[in-house]
Amino acid sequence: MENNTKSDVIIETKDVTRIFYMGEVEVKALRGVSLKIKRGEFVAIMGSSGSGKSTFLNQLGLLDIPTSGTVIINSIDTSKMSEKEKGNFRLHNLGYVFQDYALLPELSAIENVCLPLMMQGKSKEEYQRAASAVLISVGLEDRLDQFPSKMSGGQQQRVSIARALAHKPRVLFADEPCANLDSLASKQILELFRKFNKEEDQTIVMVTHEEWHMEYVDRVIRLKDGVLES
Amino acid sequence: MIILEKGKVSFFLASRSIIRGNKGITTFTILVMTLIFLQIVLFSSILGGVTVQFNKLMVDYQTGNLVIEPVENEKYIEDTSSLQKKIEGLPEIIGSSARLRSSGVISHQGKEVGTVIYGIDPGDESQVTHLESAMLSGEFISCPDRGEIILGREVSGGYGALMESKSLGGVEVGNTVNVKIEGVNREFRVKGIYSTLYSNTDSSAYINKADMEEILGVKNRANEIAVKTTSDISEEDARMKLLSLGIKEEIRTWHEFAGMLKTIESTLTMLRNAFSAIGLLIAFVIIFVVIYVNIVNKKRQIGVQKAIGIDQKVIVTSFVIQAVLYAFIGITLGYLIMHYIISPYTIVHPLQIAVGPISLILENFEAFSRAALLFLAAVIGSFIPAYNLSKKSLLELIWGK
Ligand SMILES: Nc1ncnc2c1ncn2[C@@H]1O[C@H](COP(=O)(O)OP(=O)(O)OP(=O)(O)O)[C@@H](O)[C@H]1O
Ligand SMILES: [Mg+2]
Repeated sequence: MENNTKSDVIIETKDVTRIFYMGEVEVKALRGVSLKIKRGEFVAIMGSSGSGKSTFLNQLGLLDIPTSGTVIINSIDTSKMSEKEKGNFRLHNLGYVFQDYALLPELSAIENVCLPLMMQGKSKEEYQRAASAVLISVGLEDRLDQFPSKMSGGQQQRVSIARALAHKPRVLFADEPCANLDSLASKQILELFRKFNKEEDQTIVMVTHEEWHMEYVDRVIRLKDGVLES
Repeated sequence: MIILEKGKVSFFLASRSIIRGNKGITTFTILVMTLIFLQIVLFSSILGGVTVQFNKLMVDYQTGNLVIEPVENEKYIEDTSSLQKKIEGLPEIIGSSARLRSSGVISHQGKEVGTVIYGIDPGDESQVTHLESAMLSGEFISCPDRGEIILGREVSGGYGALMESKSLGGVEVGNTVNVKIEGVNREFRVKGIYSTLYSNTDSSAYINKADMEEILGVKNRANEIAVKTTSDISEEDARMKLLSLGIKEEIRTWHEFAGMLKTIESTLTMLRNAFSAIGLLIAFVIIFVVIYVNIVNKKRQIGVQKAIGIDQKVIVTSFVIQAVLYAFIGITLGYLIMHYIISPYTIVHPLQIAVGPISLILENFEAFSRAALLFLAAVIGSFIPAYNLSKKSLLELIWGK
């Protein structure tokens, strides 16, 4: 494998497994998944319920630790990182969109988006400019100071996308971002993803179980019982 | 630099939480802090008030501001009349009372009470103490009248005496009592009965100085001279003034006589600290529970913050800042309530307790030291739950797995 940052592979997994222990019972959620995702790709992870999609996405996004195997992002072997380093890596390189938006209810739209940038140590001027720019690009120019509780699901999800993209992450992860939305709002979200993918060359990894989402993505990875379906 | 940046994020999260978080929880937490602070300082200011009142009684009914005593190994101060003249020449001195003091036994209808009996010049005494206005029955002794005695209610009995059984059991004004001092027996007519609430004075008796001089066989002498100064000079300064007159006798300020009180005071201080410790423990538990519940409710938010890369330290610090701000607001409110409502109210309407009326004064040192301990409780009470929660795995925090 090429070992420089110019490599067109952004994520590589090698034989990733994840076993959950529930008392005596072992749940093998992932049984050895190896794949590569290219820079600028928009990938969908699909499969039936319980096939391990979320678990796999969490390994890619460094939200969980694999039982064995490695996840390499941007040529960096993440299994060697400490928790603190992973936190810092997530802050600077990765972005997340959750199924239920996961906005902080006490922060306004723009404050939610500013938070990661503040944490990066950006100046007030910088983070406010970046946050309003990205909120405008997701079509929320007139809701900068609104609170999540006063927004529709689609609007909240767009704030969440803005928060995930404000710091220009190398990869955007989204776990069923449209599951709580009607088809119109879902389309808007998928179109936003496609726009960022095409215009900004944003790498996106999205979990979904809706077949019609396929038309928005470059590639579909199918999981079945914790392994790739070929 | 980096610490400052992180601190900013913590402060940002904390302030948003306070401003926009659940108003009910915020109000409740602040109220709890206010009440805990008041509870702690109220008790200690009651005890403080008791000490102040005790000292006031002593000054008002016994020592005055200063007491002149014989030089060491002497029983008497000599030539008191010229000494008093000299003292009273100072503008800062309101008056002085030269007293002869002896232990004696007073008996009436077969009952006897051992007590301290003072021989005083009634006019002089009234310049120094409020004894004259403490009469419950009858009158204060007057200068020319001889063979008259006034009794504290603990000696006479009746009038709500605290230790009735050790008294003469109900002597009334007009009765005649037998007084035995240094083997000399004399009959005295009870002219009045008084109560000052100051226990030492209330278990004494006063007779005319001339009578006492006769019994003891002394002239122009005193065992002590109590001195009253104007309120605009401190006892220490007044003492210096007297010393500069060339007085060779011992001059003590009333503070030195508070010695008897010191034993009580140390007990009171111990009580005060014990109650504060209990109060603080309760405070700590309440603060811990309130903050714990608040933080556990935010488990998922903590997970999301951690997931998007907010440093665990920043998250924990934001909760600690929040708790400290609650404590600050609560304590400030408590302090203001104490300072502007409770203290002024009890100054106008003092609490009536056994030693007399007391007002609740909050000393600043007291307020600050208790506040510091409450802050500590807030810091620990928020740090522990925030730290324990935020160190959990993201799967558990976000998805509860
Ligand atoms: N923390 C956990 N503890 C125990 N078992 C788990 C845990 N997380 C996931 N699992 C199990 O691992 C398997 C894969 O779960 P996962 O959530 O990855 O599936 P999924 O493909 O995302 O399903 P869905 O479409 O329903 O979201 C399931 O059998 C699930 O019950
Ligand atoms: Mg899932």
